[in-house]
Amino acid sequence: MNWTWFHKLGSPKSFYAITSRWLPWLIAAMGAFLVVGVLWALLFIPPDYQQGYTTRILVVHVAVAGTSLAFFPIMAVAGTITLVWRMKLADMVAKNAAPLGAWFSFVTLATGSLWGSVMWGTWWEWTDARLVSMLFQFFLLLSVVALRSAIEDNDKAARACALLSIVGCINVVIIKYSVEWWNVLHQPNSPVGMSNSGANGPEFWLPTLVMIVAVYLFLAVSLILATRNEILQRERKAQWVQDLVASS
Amino acid sequence: MIEAIQFSSFAEFLNMGGYGFNVWSVYSVFFVFVVVNLLAPLRRRKQIMKELKRRNILNENAQDSGQASDQASNSLGENQ
Repeated sequence: MNWTWFHKLGSPKSFYAITSRWLPWLIAAMGAFLVVGVLWALLFIPPDYQQGYTTRILVVHVAVAGTSLAFFPIMAVAGTITLVWRMKLADMVAKNAAPLGAWFSFVTLATGSLWGSVMWGTWWEWTDARLVSMLFQFFLLLSVVALRSAIEDNDKAARACALLSIVGCINVVIIKYSVEWWNVLHQPNSPVGMSNSGANGPEFWLPTLVMIVAVYLFLAVSLILATRNEILQRERKAQWVQDLVASS
Repeated sequence: MIEAIQFSSFAEFLNMGGYGFNVWSVYSVFFVFVVVNLLAPLRRRKQIMKELKRRNILNENAQDSGQASDQASNSLGENQ
């Protein structure tokens, strides 16, 4: 097997060059999906006979919550690459994923609360495993950020964060299956199908699907932008960065 | 498509069937979340470029006068 692509993407310089070409397209796609998703949700989703217009909250909540589960796997894969191959770029991605993931978890909790406060009659439920495991993910991501800034040596910090990220993946499994393993307030995933009716109908899950794509694209754009900043800083002595700065 | 819009007036749109506060709060949080996490790295990039440019100029001056100048600008930390 030919591994040149792997080493090429792993070099900060070619990552920077490749993402320079991708970014305009990613940003355009993200903008289009965001606009379509938000307008579809806010203007066209019909009121549910029980939930009224609060299903519009779930379009955002489901998209952000689902995407937030990607952070620990991303950081674990990047961390494994850091541990095994000592690839600098992987650690730059992992480092910038942690605070962004904390944002995702926080928005998941906030939007969920805003839905629960009117539909469940409570903002928070400590006995609900789904809610508590998501809160745990928020704190776990904050602790990865804290761990990173607590260790001065870059390589040691990278390895410690990599280990914590790999272990943290256990919690993702718990979040995912919490609604099946325990009898909780939080509902399980809704089935997706064209012939569903009521709150499971395509008029609800189609805009949700658009929003999920939009939020994944947003994750990619934000993480790539932050990683490129990291590259500029860590590679600032490299000739190509100096040339880039000079020509800017 | 226009007839599929669920509201006939702007006030009705804002009201969201009585759940206006919750629906609009969620979309406000989402808006801030997206904008902050796109603008922050873009602003940071500007800052880095400015800092690196300054450092390059300092380095050129240092080469002329024979001084090492990497310590001359330390606001750009190794880890930040």
